Amino acid sequence: MTSTPVQRRRVTPGLLVWGVLIALLLGVGLLSFYTVFTDGLVVTNLSDSIPWGLWITVDLSAIALGAGAFALSAVVYLFKLDRYRPIVRIAVLVGLIGYTAALLTLVADIGRPDRFWHPWVYWNVHSVLWEITMCITIYLMILTVEFAPTISESRFFNRWPIISRIGHNLHRLAPFLAVAGLMISLLHQSSLGATYGVLKARPIWFKPSMPIMFIVSAIAVGPAITMAAAFIIEWVTGRRTISHDVLRSIARFSGLALLVYLYVRLWDLAVLTYYGSTPGSSSAMSMLSEFTPYGFGFWVGEIILGIIVPVILFLVPRFNRNPLNLVLGAGLAAFGIVVNRWNVTVSGLVVPLSYSPGTAVQLEPGSYSPSIVEWGVVAGVIGYALLIFTLGVLLLPLFKKQGTTPSE
Amino acid sequence: MAKKTKIEVDISRRDFVTVAATAAGSAVVASAVTTGPLSPFGEFKRRQLTGESEEIHPQREVRWGMVVNLDRCIGCEYCLRACSAVNDVAADKPWNIVLEDQTTTGRTFYFSRPCMQCQHAPCVEVCPVQATYVREDGIVMMDYDRCIGCRYCEVACPYDARKFNWDERTDENEYVPTWGHPEVERRPRGVVEKCTFCSHRIDAGVANGLEPGVDREATPACVNACPVNARTFGNLMDPESEIVYTIASNPTVRLREDLGTDPSVFYIPVDEL
Repeated sequence: MTSTPVQRRRVTPGLLVWGVLIALLLGVGLLSFYTVFTDGLVVTNLSDSIPWGLWITVDLSAIALGAGAFALSAVVYLFKLDRYRPIVRIAVLVGLIGYTAALLTLVADIGRPDRFWHPWVYWNVHSVLWEITMCITIYLMILTVEFAPTISESRFFNRWPIISRIGHNLHRLAPFLAVAGLMISLLHQSSLGATYGVLKARPIWFKPSMPIMFIVSAIAVGPAITMAAAFIIEWVTGRRTISHDVLRSIARFSGLALLVYLYVRLWDLAVLTYYGSTPGSSSAMSMLSEFTPYGFGFWVGEIILGIIVPVILFLVPRFNRNPLNLVLGAGLAAFGIVVNRWNVTVSGLVVPLSYSPGTAVQLEPGSYSPSIVEWGVVAGVIGYALLIFTLGVLLLPLFKKQGTTPSE
Repeated sequence: MAKKTKIEVDISRRDFVTVAATAAGSAVVASAVTTGPLSPFGEFKRRQLTGESEEIHPQREVRWGMVVNLDRCIGCEYCLRACSAVNDVAADKPWNIVLEDQTTTGRTFYFSRPCMQCQHAPCVEVCPVQATYVREDGIVMMDYDRCIGCRYCEVACPYDARKFNWDERTDENEYVPTWGHPEVERRPRGVVEKCTFCSHRIDAGVANGLEPGVDREATPACVNACPVNARTFGNLMDPESEIVYTIASNPTVRLREDLGTDPSVFYIPVDEL
């Protein structure tokens, strides 16, 4: 962790390799998007019994991982914890990336991408999905305004002082934006869980804990991702920009929030399988354990790797002193979120509906594994996320007032 | 480094009030906007969530319904074929499904199923763009020009009544012309489609003074095609209609009534013995 100033505008071999990797991902992505738009969703492995799959998992995960933006903005502008101020810009950048990546995936996922604007015009106020669309639209605007000052301060705009003045004035809105962002985020992060929770026909989804688990997990993991992004920027650029104490306390917060999430998650399991079980939910659970690796994904992916290991890495002093452990913990927690969103989406759909009373025939469980094109779109979206992150780190003043502004 | 960082939380009374007021404000705004008396959506909500039920619309004169007599059904699939021909449905995703099933006592019977045309339809509630809605006469319709293809309705439907157009259709309909001729357009790629109780026949018939369920031109294709008269169609609000008589004189069940969806399709259960 040397702190030699990096010479700007020099393309190192490492950066070149990184650029090639991103270009490859984007190439695969563009090809896959083109296939989806020309050939339609028939190129996916989705079906009428399992109409949602990998892409919805990516949407939900990307939005949850972007939750650091609203949480840390609220911490700084609402609770006035000034020591976290330096990380807000990274948090907002990560949030922007997460939300736009989700929208990008969504455009591939809907059958009529040419009608993406319909929810803005034809309102169904009772639809959770409509509410989420509106919230995400508004929140993306908030994130854009929150991020505008950072862009306006980049060297590119030095020629036009008016732009940085506008940016500076926008920055004064930050506290209000933080309040609005907090409200909207609490709403739609929970509603993403309610998307499943309100469906009374699906016994393992229909429960009030759904939105709570979604919001708690997002609040736990979002800030951890931001923390990991800050460490990675430090390693890559070689500049220590945010004090490790601050990053470690974010990790500690995430560890505690993960414990809360674990608590809710285990109670939810107890309700589903023990005292709240219905004929529908217990047959669904036994079907899942018989035909799918649901149990393995849940215990190993979600609970051990996704919660317990990160909690140890974040909270035990012996481990959390080493930045590598913190980044590893954030990566595992993010992995746990992805596994969770996948488990929620796919397992709920694998279990067939039971609409036929008094009969002996049990419908077969469905099966789904993503097609190559679906993976290709996801690769493209990841490439997009890495590209924006890289450009942000290279070109934008993400660390204001840290003595490393690009005006040397 | 080894020392624990101390977090100084400096929350003044003013901050606390701000946060509390924000939280309370958001709750008030949310409830006012969605349900409260000041809600701009209040009338809409009343209409959509409860307006279709008899209690709210005591003067409602028409609610189309169907009775399927499982005891009579012989599993010939004529209903499926007629439906697929008239509505130009893809052969591998029929709107009208016929399954072989078994009672808990082991007796084989045939279970056929159109859209249940729920009055409190889960699909209608979840659609983000109101592309699907309950008509005044109780039929759950699709607006294929509005649907964005998100497939939330397909996920929400308890009866597996909805099908998505994954691909542009180029197939030749194998049921045409033997079982009828297409009377409606094929649906485009990327939208969800469903059974309509042959609403095009009902609308044209009613406009010409015919009675759906009595006059064949105004009756759903599946009902006409049944060789054993297992299906009865008609107006559930008309005490003189055959369907009301059938329901009154037979034991009937509706699928998943516990969900409160209020379906318009009634089943006469199969004799268990």
